[in-house]
Amino acid sequence: MIKNNQNTLAIIVVILFGSILFYVETDGFRAYTAESARTYELLQDKPKFPSVTLEDSQERTYTFKEFGNDKYVFLTFMYTSCKTVCPQLEMNMAQVYDLIPRKYMGEDIVFLSISFDPARDNPKILAKYRTYFGSDGETWRMARITDQAELDTLLKELGVIVIPDGNGNFTHNTAFYLIGKKGHLQEMMDFTKIKETASKVVSILENEAGD
Amino acid sequence: MKQFIYGLLLFVFLTLPPVATLLESIMIIHMHLQMPLLIFSGFLMARFFKVRFPAFFYKWNRNGIPGILLFSIILVYWMIPRTMDEALTVYASEIFKFISLPFLAGIPLRDSWRKLGSVSKNIVFLIFIILFILMGWLFIGVDDQICNNYLRVDQITLGWGYVTLAACMIIYIVQLIFGDQSEFE
Repeated sequence: MIKNNQNTLAIIVVILFGSILFYVETDGFRAYTAESARTYELLQDKPKFPSVTLEDSQERTYTFKEFGNDKYVFLTFMYTSCKTVCPQLEMNMAQVYDLIPRKYMGEDIVFLSISFDPARDNPKILAKYRTYFGSDGETWRMARITDQAELDTLLKELGVIVIPDGNGNFTHNTAFYLIGKKGHLQEMMDFTKIKETASKVVSILENEAGD
Repeated sequence: MKQFIYGLLLFVFLTLPPVATLLESIMIIHMHLQMPLLIFSGFLMARFFKVRFPAFFYKWNRNGIPGILLFSIILVYWMIPRTMDEALTVYASEIFKFISLPFLAGIPLRDSWRKLGSVSKNIVFLIFIILFILMGWLFIGVDDQICNNYLRVDQITLGWGYVTLAACMIIYIVQLIFGDQSEFE
């Protein structure tokens, strides 16, 4: 009988060990991939958008704070020479843009695509690039951050990993970012889920309007 | 004793940094060669521990269930995409891999397998067949990059690796059910 007890005890210990192991490793059953762990950590920390100066496709310069003053900012990171994921990202962003009711646009929310390749993406190129996706240059702007130090800080704060591959291309992770009115990261969304993203953003805007 | 030496040699060989780096550079090799070899090294080393501490295995793994549970937990743990990424980026995770697979999966497997009845064995097989098919389906079908350290092509290859494993296990089970076992007994 005692021996059997030990066997049962061993089963309990093993299950307990397993549960703790899985709980700890997945941040409490929330993050099963390294990328989702990164997202989860970011949303827990809610980092503040650092102070950066943008230069947009119309050669206007202003700080992010001025641009997103008391508005939500829907944000993506891209570079125009990118042939793979960025066009898809911007195309999806355009679809989200179209799904947001007009009354909010420019008033409560603005869209912004930031290039992390400031050397090549000058205002002229950005001005051309934005037309491919129907960005109007006002409520959806495309901009670069000319100060490399500012850009690096921003990418680091928002957990964007950009690895130059040496051939003028970059490997980078991709997501939709929503920056809240106070300049904190509020949401990070899967850039392939257009409808879900749009409805989430709309519900945030509606809640705001209802208050 | 010979088995223990072979197991130990295999284990030491796998821990050599150049060998580890090489095996980890390709996703499917990492998952379906390095990890199983680590388990196998523990499986070989188990002889020594069983001879040395027979009472421990007898008392705490009497019917084999605790051991096979531990084995399964460790295996499933290393099937989580995040753990594979972290084995490459987090040093503690890499060390845990080299300890957990031989000592917490390989040794318990050897001790437990003989103690398990055929029903338990079949359940274990069934669970892992389902799990491997699911993992294969996930890795082949998903559009996202699951592991930050590997490309999508690697991911699809690994997916087919899982499906192949599951297929092999199904063939094994089928021949167990329909084959004539009397010759082997």
